[in-house]
Amino acid sequence: MENLYIAATISSPEVRFDAAQQSLEMTGESYPENTAEFYLPIIRVLQEAVREPDLPFTLSLEIIYANSSSSKVLMDMLDMLDEAAAEGKTVNVNWYYNADNENAKEVGEEFQEDIESLSFHLLTKESDGS
Amino acid sequence: MIKDLSQFREKLKQEHIYINFAGPLSQSLMEDVVGIVRRRMTLEGENTATVMNVFAIAVEQVQNMIHYSAEMIPDDEKNAEFRFGLLVVGREDERYVVCSGNLIRQPEIAALRERLTKLGDMNKDSLKQYYKEQRKKTPDLKAKGAGLGLIEIARKSSRPLEFDFQPVDDDSRSFFSLKAII
Repeated sequence: MENLYIAATISSPEVRFDAAQQSLEMTGESYPENTAEFYLPIIRVLQEAVREPDLPFTLSLEIIYANSSSSKVLMDMLDMLDEAAAEGKTVNVNWYYNADNENAKEVGEEFQEDIESLSFHLLTKESDGS
Repeated sequence: MIKDLSQFREKLKQEHIYINFAGPLSQSLMEDVVGIVRRRMTLEGENTATVMNVFAIAVEQVQNMIHYSAEMIPDDEKNAEFRFGLLVVGREDERYVVCSGNLIRQPEIAALRERLTKLGDMNKDSLKQYYKEQRKKTPDLKAKGAGLGLIEIARKSSRPLEFDFQPVDDDSRSFFSLKAII
């Protein structure tokens, strides 16, 4: 697998995928004009990752705001990872939010409610020392 | 024109309008205009949750218009470069209001009215459930996501959404307006 880097814009998050670490991070806001187009390379990364049941995978999300289209894609991504986790893959998802941002916390909690197998962690930004 | 503009400005002030935009819409225009509203509200000391709710609703309304407005240039679904709509953000009775308006084709009215009426009958919990159900569904490729957007707008509002369909010169279309109160 190849690394992936997408710089942030006002309406789309920074995306970093480290293939060696099997770690995907998304930071920022998500309300791009064309959601499907923006998320395509990210979905590709996940499709490849779920084909490797023995490699642990980490998804770190620090999404300040996501529009409804983005929220749907994020749910799809979590579903893919959740299915892989149900089949034995080790998957950790870290949802970071700022303590002031009630909405971001709720969004994280709502994703957590729909997760069955993977390990989902809700973390304020101070929790991990940053 | 100058005198009318001054009166127009007065009217906007009296009605506590923050921004009033009518014209061709684009993603970048939306980013700037809605971004300015967000920044202004933050500078005025509004609490983060309210700022983000107003911001989110405005983004959803504009993106809905960008995808669905039946008024475009060129007037051709496949080659349209811009779609037209109205966006008004302001204050009313101690609350924020975000309104949008755009032309819509007659055959689309019934389904939209039904969807909005259904949302209006739901409370916070049912809206949350409905949102989660719809989010899990396989996308309807024609829909471009508007269904989820309306639910999101309804969830972030403090009252049921107000909406209206009004006739325009063109028999094949109506003017659809939507008001969200935060």
